Amino acid sequence: MTAWSLFYKPILLSFDSELWLLLPLCFAVALVYKTIRIGELRRLPREMAFVMAYIVVGLIALCVGLWLVQEYWP
Amino acid sequence: MGKQKKKDRSAPLPYVALVLACAIPGAGHVYLGRIKRGIILFVTITALFWSGVGIGGVMTVDSQRERWWFVAQVFTGVHGVIAWQRQRRVHDRLVSGKRLDLRDRYDQDVLDAKLQAEGLALVAPADTVARAYSGVAGLLNLMCVFDALMLSIMGVTGESPRGKDGSEQSGKARDA
Repeated sequence: MTAWSLFYKPILLSFDSELWLLLPLCFAVALVYKTIRIGELRRLPREMAFVMAYIVVGLIALCVGLWLVQEYWP
Repeated sequence: MGKQKKKDRSAPLPYVALVLACAIPGAGHVYLGRIKRGIILFVTITALFWSGVGIGGVMTVDSQRERWWFVAQVFTGVHGVIAWQRQRRVHDRLVSGKRLDLRDRYDQDVLDAKLQAEGLALVAPADTVARAYSGVAGLLNLMCVFDALMLSIMGVTGESPRGKDGSEQSGKARDA
């Protein structure tokens, strides 16, 4: 019954948790991208971690840039 | 000549790879002999899609009100179709067979009220997260479909060992 309700009714999320939920999304994107692109699968965890770090750092840099524009743009 | 014919028959068929990859995430790669990659792709895309539906509930996949998200979600193949059918069943039950024109403000309000009453209305921020998860899952599968199609056209099968220069070798190149 709980399982049925889980995929039937939406979960209540707070706006604070929204940003943290970007991490699983970045993880999935990095994993799928590297699974397709990589030559040897044993290098997958390391390469995936690099791509995920790139994405997260890129998003943070974008956030900081946009915040600066919003705060200090004349 | 006979040997050549036999070799051609064992070569991957691009349209089979395309159909399998579209229907089930990772199946195109499994067909090409990249079984581990196929399993990783299947597990990741399936988990991402159903996490989205878990967060947003049955109305996450909504073909009438969120068309562009719906297009992305349906690229997950069988998962998207199952979620869509569930949403349609719930939608039909809520409107009890009546055809609502969702471009009309009044009909939209009627449906919204019914969704609220059942506790199915998707509100922020769950709607964004749910649709982003399930939509991105579809777009990732689209990337896998292109990859499987290109590999099958190039005749690449099995896990590809790297050449001395670090580039991938195709199945035909390895056979030569």
